[in-house]
This record gives sequence, C-alpha cells and structure tokens, in this order.
Amino acid sequence: MTGINATRVQNYIGDPISAEAPRPRAELEEIFADIQADFRYDHELNGCLNCGICTATCPAAHYYDFSPREIVQLLWTENLEGIYDAMQEKIWACAQCYTCAARCPFGNSPGGLIMLMREAAIKHGMESAKNVLRPFSRVMLKLISTGNQLAPDMITADHFADWGPNVSKIDAPLALLRKAIPMPTLNTTKTAWEVNLKTSVELYTIWEATGVLDQLETIDENLFDVITDIMDEKREDWEEFLEEEHEGD
Amino acid sequence: MTIPTGERFTGHGAEWRDSSLSPAEADTATRWVEQKIDKRSMLTNKDRVEDVRDIMWQLEKEGEIVVHRVSDEHEPVMVKTLYGWEKKIPTKRLWHHKSCGQCGNIPGYPASLLWLMNELNIEYLDETDQTSCTAWNYHGSGIGNIESLAAVFLRNFHQAYVSAKAQGLPEGYYYPLVHCGTSFGNYKEVRSYLLHSAKLRERTKQILGKLGRLVDGKLLIPEEVVHYSEWLHIIRDRITERQIIDASELRATIHPACHVYKMVPEDAIYDDDILEGNRVAVSTGLIEALGAQVIDYKTWYDCCGFGFRHIISEREFTRSFAIDRKVKIAVEEANADVMIGHDTGCITTLDKNQWIGKAAGKGYDLPILADCQFAALVCGAHPYKIVQSHWHASSTETLMDKLGIDWQAKKAEFEAYLKQIEAGGPQDNLYDPRKMVTSGPGFKGIRIEHQA
Repeated sequence: MTGINATRVQNYIGDPISAEAPRPRAELEEIFADIQADFRYDHELNGCLNCGICTATCPAAHYYDFSPREIVQLLWTENLEGIYDAMQEKIWACAQCYTCAARCPFGNSPGGLIMLMREAAIKHGMESAKNVLRPFSRVMLKLISTGNQLAPDMITADHFADWGPNVSKIDAPLALLRKAIPMPTLNTTKTAWEVNLKTSVELYTIWEATGVLDQLETIDENLFDVITDIMDEKREDWEEFLEEEHEGD
Repeated sequence: MTIPTGERFTGHGAEWRDSSLSPAEADTATRWVEQKIDKRSMLTNKDRVEDVRDIMWQLEKEGEIVVHRVSDEHEPVMVKTLYGWEKKIPTKRLWHHKSCGQCGNIPGYPASLLWLMNELNIEYLDETDQTSCTAWNYHGSGIGNIESLAAVFLRNFHQAYVSAKAQGLPEGYYYPLVHCGTSFGNYKEVRSYLLHSAKLRERTKQILGKLGRLVDGKLLIPEEVVHYSEWLHIIRDRITERQIIDASELRATIHPACHVYKMVPEDAIYDDDILEGNRVAVSTGLIEALGAQVIDYKTWYDCCGFGFRHIISEREFTRSFAIDRKVKIAVEEANADVMIGHDTGCITTLDKNQWIGKAAGKGYDLPILADCQFAALVCGAHPYKIVQSHWHASSTETLMDKLGIDWQAKKAEFEAYLKQIEAGGPQDNLYDPRKMVTSGPGFKGIRIEHQA
C-alpha cells in the first residue's frame, strides 16, 4: 500500500502485510553503494557495540526523533530500508557538532556518516533533500556566485525577526556602517568581504570540476540557471581583463 | 519492586528497574561519574590514534607534496595538544583567512584581532583573494563533497603561500591564520583525508593544476593548520602587558567551539595549568590571564545550537538549545557577567537568540563576545570603532558598565565619526588599503616596507 493514505513508514519502507516494497531493492542497493563508495566511509565506521554514548551526548537527540546510535547501527547492519527511511527526515536533524565523533570509543563519526547520507540524498534527488534545502537557496546563490557564504545584506530584521530589534544598535544605513569598519576589505554590503574577480572565477571552476554544480542542478534547476548566467558573465569579465592585460604588455 | 505512582518517563523501556541505591551509594556513584564525564579522558579513550603529520613528512620526502613550513621567520611557539604532541604556532607574518560569518555579521571580531596585532606590531596581510571555506554550506546542506572541500582548502592555502609576491617578498612569507572554527575543523579534517588518500590527491592535483596553484608541480600542504584563538593563546602574556582595564570583578563563562576541538581533537591545545588540562586551553587561558574569573558550568561541553542548517531553517531548535542549554545555565548556575567564545556560529547563535526568549518567559540577557573582542576591549580598543559592539544583540553595554567603560560617550564619538564619513571625510583603517588587492583588477603592485 502506497500513496496519500499510506503512513510514512508504508511509503518509504513498504507494507509488511502486502509485502510490497515501494522502492525497488535495486534502488536501495544503489543508494547504499553510493554511501559506501565514499572513501571516508571506512574511516568513519569501524564497528558499534550500541553503547549509546553518541546519543547520550547529542544535542539533536534532545529535540528530535533522532539518534546517532541508530544511524550507525543501520549502516553497520546494512539495513537498506532503514537507511532509506532515515534519509527522508532523520539525517537532517543532526546539528553537525561532532560531539559523537569525539566521544565514540570505536572512533566512529556518526556526524561524518550523516554527511555521506546527505550527499547521497542530494545525488538521488530525494524530495526530502529538496524540501530541506529550499531555505538554503539564498546562501547557495551567494556562495557560488561570489565566493562568500554570508553577506551583510542577508542579515536584516526582515529575515531574522526573531533576533529582535538589535540587528544593529546604531541606526544608520548599512553601507555607512560598513564603511566605518576599519578593515578596507570589509567596506562591502553584498559580500562579507571584497572578493577578487579571479577568486570567484577560481571557486566556480572548482564547483564545476568536482560535480557540485551537478548536485545543485538536481536539487534546484532554477537556481542552477541563475547561477550559471551570473558566472558566465563573471568569466567573460575575467577573460576581458586578461586580454587587456596581455595587450598592455 | 514498587513502581512509584504518577508519571515517570525514563526512556529505558519496560525492563528498566530502579537501582535502589542508598543516598550514600548514590553519592559515590555520582562522584565516580563526575570524575569521568566531560573530562579529557573522554576524548583519549581511543585504541588507534595517529599524527597525520608523520604521513605528511613522508609524502614530502617521497616528492609527492610540498609542505608550507612554519619557519623561524614566523617566530613560532611550541604548544602541547591533546595527547601531549607538539604543535608549532607562528606568532608573526600572518595571512588572515577570514570568516564570512564574522566579516558579514560580527565585523568587530576580525577588526579586534587585527587591532591587537597592530598594538603588538605584528605583520600581517588581509587581502581580497580568498574564498569562504564553504564548510558552513556543506555541513548545513550537503551540497559539496570531499573533493570540492579539499580543492578550496588547497586553493586558499596556496594563495596564502604566494601572496607576499605582490609586495616583492618571497613565497611562504606569510603563514595562514584561520579565523573561523568551522573552517579550522574542516581544513584539519580535509588535510588528513588528503594525506591518507592518493586518489583524492590525484583528483585535486588536476584541479589545482588548472588553477595554476601547484608548487613545483606538487600540492602544497600546510605544516600546521592554525586557528586565531591558538595565536591569542600563545601571545596572551604580551596582550596582558597592554591591558589597561581591570577585569578581576567579572565572572566569565567560556563556550568552547565544537569544530575547534571536537573535530580532529588530537590537534587541540591542552595545558595542565588551565582547568587541570581537562578543557581545551584556548580562550580560557587568555581570559584567565586577563584577570577575569572563569566560572565552570555544567553544559560547557554542549554545542551552541547553531546546527549549520538549523540557524537558517529550524531556528526553534537553535534558539531553544542556545537558551536552555547554554545561556540559562551560564546565568543561573554560574551567575556569569559574560560568555566568551572563539567561533563565528557560536557567537552569532548565543548573541542573537536571547531576545526571543522573552516570548517564553526566559528573558535572559547575557553579553556575548569573542575572546579577541574582550581582549581588545580591556586593552583600550574603541568599543564601537574597533570592537563594533553595536552589531551585538546581547547587552554588551552592561558588560562595559561593569568594566567602567563610558560607552555612551564612546557611542557618541562613533556617531560623530559616521557623520564624518557620510560627509566624505577620512576613514580610519587598520592597515594600508593598497595592500588588500594582490592581483587582478585593481592591483597596483606596490612594494611595502616589511619587518626584519
């Protein structure tokens, strides 16, 4: 049984009565194979005695239906259905503090394993990843098109109403406040610091060469289109600069 | 055994039974746990530990990589890390690897650090040819991968290596100093993976080659990955020489940052004279040296609640954790006047998420500052021009009152300064702005006098 009347468990791991798996076994195996194929996997999973020290110290476990011990156990026992189910929601609860990794007597890194699962969720275009990452699009746009993850014009009272009235305790235009920072690289509003044109072109080259742009296209095609347009222009600007410099020589 | 009436949630399942310890036995058991829990031994209980620098030197010997050394010219100081290994911290000729969160949101954080370096006559370079480490985005979203993280690491550290050429100085002149805890943890982890994986080295070498960022056709790996808090730690005695404001009446709590000492924990600095060597030494050592009373609190080990993704899209987690597990404990248990941190996300989270607590009857107001901001403040830095305390939502004013700083007068000075800039008047800068462009558009190719 699958569809809108099915429970979450039935949707993701099948119905034990009808024995119909909503996901073909081959797909579950492919996802797990992708997680295992990362060379970090063997470094971050060395065994597990279910001691639970990771969950005992986990901040996300205080607030969510989430346990790093469970994640490690699912991977260690190669529970493909359970892994797939955890990738729908649970892996996104992790706060990535790595307290679990620091304390695990086996030297496991549950936080690191979760990153491998998040990467796999993105690669397979899982709906959970798309939903989770939607609010991140501003950060992605800023990062890929400028080389900065965060900029002053992103920190406004509109975006962070719950931070209260004191985003700045001095009432002055943002550009003026930024000019008053005594580091010349920081007299900016659209990027955290002034980024050299060459720098952002180099970072874009890294994104291209390492498959990050493919990840982005899988998750948000519109954002991918916007970013490639911006970066094509920046590349042209850089090429023009190089040509002018060459002519000047 | 009789199960007490009323609600009781243990989370241990139906098979759970009360231990029925006497009060004395319970006290003994609790004390045993307290001797173990949250202590240094929690991090050193591993069977297999390796110093990746051994692999690094071997790879250099085999001609596979080039190591950017912390040389004598950087006047390094040796410190001990978790297992008693030595780490070499450069004190001068530093290349600032900035933090996007600090520069975008808490600009007094890097400005205070640079101000301290000016006070101590430390040579440095702050330039435009640096990207974010991209690790905040990676840990928050999963967009990115080990190759992209490694290539960004190698690219930025290569730029640090060659940056001095723009001033007519040799390669390797400046040594990178990483401002952000997230970058620091990420870069250390990535360096370890690069040293372990020939395949990762091969793939990133192709990319770095395309960018023209190899040294003699090889990848450049830094001898040490150094966080600014480590620099502050080893230079703390020189900072206290410049202290002009007494901090001895202050009760300070420290929030150690997860990615500073829980990621690659073997590289974090520990000192037996600082909290008996049970806590990472950075920040605590500095604040103690500045004379404040460092007060312990039971949730010191917890993260701040930043969560990377949560600060953006699940803020109810972030603010609940920040208030209930950190700020509340610091105020009610430690009776703290301030909480000091050493990382971007932590300062942001703890500082910005207090106001909303009023909605739940938790109206705490604990000043939050980075260690370098606090150090600059008690050394006489301007609270607004340098420490830029107006970007802090928490009540830095109450802290300044306790330190005897006339912040109203300083604020008025700063507002007058804003009017001066608005009218086209001169700006005060911590360094010559011509230094900040080292190549590409706007590069002037100036030669700057440097220190011997």
